[in-house]
Amino acid sequence: MYMLQALDIYKRFHRTEVLRGISLRVEKGEVIAIIGPSGSGKSTFLRCLNRLETVDRGMIEIEGEVMVRNGPDGKALYSDERDIARLRRKMGMVFQDFNLFPHKSVLENLMLAPVIVQKTDAVLAEKTARALLDKVGLSHKADQYPYQLSGGQQQRVAIARALAMNPDIMCFDEPTSALDPELTGEVLKVMKDLALEHMTMIVVTHEIGFAREVANRVIFMDEGVIVEQGKAEDVLLRPQHERTRAFLSKVLMAR
Amino acid sequence: MQYLASLLPTMLEGTVITVELFALTLVMSLPLGVIMAIARISRFKPLNLLMQFYVWLFRGTPLLLQLLFIYYGLGIVGIRLERFTAAVLAFVLNYSAYLAEIYRSGIQSIDRGQYEAADVLGLTYFQTMSKIILPQMFKRVLPPISNEVINLVKDTALIYAIGESELLRVAKTAAVRDFSFTPFIVAALFYLVMNGGIQQFFKWLEAKYDYYR
Repeated sequence: MYMLQALDIYKRFHRTEVLRGISLRVEKGEVIAIIGPSGSGKSTFLRCLNRLETVDRGMIEIEGEVMVRNGPDGKALYSDERDIARLRRKMGMVFQDFNLFPHKSVLENLMLAPVIVQKTDAVLAEKTARALLDKVGLSHKADQYPYQLSGGQQQRVAIARALAMNPDIMCFDEPTSALDPELTGEVLKVMKDLALEHMTMIVVTHEIGFAREVANRVIFMDEGVIVEQGKAEDVLLRPQHERTRAFLSKVLMAR
Repeated sequence: MQYLASLLPTMLEGTVITVELFALTLVMSLPLGVIMAIARISRFKPLNLLMQFYVWLFRGTPLLLQLLFIYYGLGIVGIRLERFTAAVLAFVLNYSAYLAEIYRSGIQSIDRGQYEAADVLGLTYFQTMSKIILPQMFKRVLPPISNEVINLVKDTALIYAIGESELLRVAKTAAVRDFSFTPFIVAALFYLVMNGGIQQFFKWLEAKYDYYR
């Protein structure tokens, strides 16, 4: 059974077709990096996987359970809300802009959802939250507020917050793109540690170095389709397609 | 001095009515405004349109007119309300409309990312609103809300138009009777003291919410 399966996903915003038949199968413990130029649809695709965006057509299954499939009219038909909510809870999400709750302390950010969504006992939730903060190296920041933290620290808190829900799959939407270059390292380090623990991860990223070092599989997307995919070293070092080569040389030149 | 002392009892009585109207209006319109704001941004079109109409109606006409309409106008069609009840009703309806618009702008100023973060963590719409959006909204709308509250203190003087003996009416009666300016000055001082307190209260509240940005 796949952890996640997406088949032939189509999505349009108004008149632009953003996703044109994307398919992805993710095995347990796989780390997948999705790269591609901006506007290629990679973030939209990731957001479709946990229904932050709805798809127009296609099928998405999480751990063998259907979240959306094509109905008799050929258009996307979503399962009922309760099932979707349950499936979405298997996925953690980390955003480009962190989206921490500014009015809550770091610890409260981590405890909020476990306590009110999963009805975890507050004492237990706090214990878990502190352990996770320790894991991302921020136990000393538990009582601070997000604005008192650097971008890198905020993103590490955001990762810990997603982990607090004990997800099976972690999705990252350009987790280092909003950070100053000197702060990306600490976030990538936390993600790398997660990969070493065999967390299943789907990472939309511009960090070619991270993709090469950590991802099992790299997917290159452009203009709403998957142009090329394969083992990280194959796609990144020996790209088969002209578009992949052009993109990589541009990204690598920029450093 | 003796004259001042003779004024005080009736003026305090008038102040009680003023304060009662003020407090009742706030207690009801502050929460009512939140519900209206949420209805106003609802994706359920009829509710949304109804709220737009409501806000247009109550912001678009003078509070004085609404007051007269509810007290005298409704009387014509057989709905007789007590003076004070009519006053509270008009004030609550009017202030809710203003507050709803302030809350709405506050809610809409919250970044979309906050909804998305709450959403992926599995919070329901109600939980997202009550735990994430509204607490942040209240902090942002404190300055315009304090404006409204101060306006409310002064607007209470309008109920003198339906013959309610609030502070200003009592002052005017005394001024005319005694051919004196003093009651007006006393009334002004009363209003100033009340609003001074309110200003301090909001200053304190804003400082209290300064723990995050």
